[in-house]
Amino acid sequence: MISLTDVSYAYPDAEALTLEHVDLEVERGSIAGIVGASGAGKTTLAKIIAGFIPHADGGELSGTVRVDGRDLSTGSLVDAVSVVGLVIQNPFNQISGAKYTVREEIAFGLENFGTPRDEMQRRVDEVAALLRIEHLLDRSPYALSGGQQQLVAIASMIVLRTPVIVMDEPTAQLDPAGTRMVFDVLSALRETGITIVIFEHKLELLQQHADRLHVVADRSIVLSGAPDDVLADDRLAQWAVGTTRYVTAGRLARERGLLPPEVPLPVSFEQAERVFDRERSVR
Amino acid sequence: MTSTLYLDRRSPVHRLNPVTKLVAMLTIVVIVFAVPLWWVAGLIVVGVVVPAAVVAHCGGRLLSLSLKLLLPIIVVLVLVQGLTFPGGKTVLAEWGVLALTTEGLLFALGIGSRIVCLVLTSVLFVLTTHPGDLMGALTERGMSPKFSYIISSTLQLIPAFRDRADGILLAQQARGLAVKGSPLARVKVMMPLLGPLVLGMFTDVEERSTAMEARGFGSAARRTALIPVPDSTAQRVSRWLMLVLAVAAIVVPIVFGVL
Repeated sequence: MISLTDVSYAYPDAEALTLEHVDLEVERGSIAGIVGASGAGKTTLAKIIAGFIPHADGGELSGTVRVDGRDLSTGSLVDAVSVVGLVIQNPFNQISGAKYTVREEIAFGLENFGTPRDEMQRRVDEVAALLRIEHLLDRSPYALSGGQQQLVAIASMIVLRTPVIVMDEPTAQLDPAGTRMVFDVLSALRETGITIVIFEHKLELLQQHADRLHVVADRSIVLSGAPDDVLADDRLAQWAVGTTRYVTAGRLARERGLLPPEVPLPVSFEQAERVFDRERSVR
Repeated sequence: MTSTLYLDRRSPVHRLNPVTKLVAMLTIVVIVFAVPLWWVAGLIVVGVVVPAAVVAHCGGRLLSLSLKLLLPIIVVLVLVQGLTFPGGKTVLAEWGVLALTTEGLLFALGIGSRIVCLVLTSVLFVLTTHPGDLMGALTERGMSPKFSYIISSTLQLIPAFRDRADGILLAQQARGLAVKGSPLARVKVMMPLLGPLVLGMFTDVEERSTAMEARGFGSAARRTALIPVPDSTAQRVSRWLMLVLAVAAIVVPIVFGVL
């Protein structure tokens, strides 16, 4: 579905490459989590997958970027956004400011693409039901919480029916309740067959929802794999990525001889509960 | 957080097509600047703008917003024109080289009445016209959506600036910035706000642009509307009549030598 091969990129007038020799494969209908320290190039990678680089930001892009069989580095930005949706950090800045109600706000993109009115109504209702935001449809987009606004931003992308949606730190400016709202809809989206690439720092939530994790560091993707394998990798610290608190607890338990080296480190609450229960019963 | 000056009210003024209101506003601007009689602006304010504001249930907001905009302009106008008008002969009061003259005050009244009319009309337009409706109505008439969006989103800049400035001010106060004191001291306080305010707005604009493009804003497709902006034959006729009125306001004073 998404295939980046030997992609390198430098911003206009930049002396150094921001990304170098990036290879990435994301399967159709899966959720890919991308993690990395601040400034590692995650937003740049998000913009490359979404086609904003090079079409909007310019710069020097090399390598191939194929999404749903199409080369996004050729064609126009409008061609790219009809294949990949993009949700950014700040929910407030994603509100068009041109609409009275959430219903109209969600339909804004459809209006831009000239969708007939009946179909717009139908699609907006479908998306609202999918994300369980029907009760917000007649409210002003400005009268919503940050989490609700982010759900509206996601709905505004899903309604366009792009096969891929890229989310660039969609919970960075949200409180825990808003964060939970956004991650809860990921499960609903998985059912629709949409491919999702989510750039996030919240590793425990990624562990629960992502099919694969990819680590961005040193201007490239340095590690890819199943979330449990990636999060238990010792090298995450050197890339300033961190890990889950359960992995940290497991490492401490190993250091103190409470967890044998051959037992895999737990990465989630369920795994930690199982591992420590077992070790306790053995002792 | 608000993002627009628009006041959501159920009134006939609100229900008017935005283009009708835009044409009315432009017609008023043309009339008050083309007709060289100061009281015409006053007549329009009393006979058109104030009744429209009352009908639209936004008289209070119109007054408070307009006062904030007009007060400094009027004070400067009266001081500068009233005291230093070059053709002033009838001196009402004198302080050294400065003389308050009748001619100067009349000149200030002529300019001031036009500015008052212009500001009140513009603010009323902004208060009663949703930016989205304006954008939709202009796009329907063939204007580029990007251009329409620039016009309508400009109306939102004031509250967006205010919200961001409030946030920055609070952050600076938390770090010990004193915001009270003389007017000069307050101006000095504003200086540290400007950098983050302007840079922050640039970031906002870039993000907003990205979000809009992601929703096909650059698409060349013929746009549709989920909820079309209503219009009527009566409004279409009135727009043409206003256009005629504006042309007459320019031509009549020239032809009949009122100038």
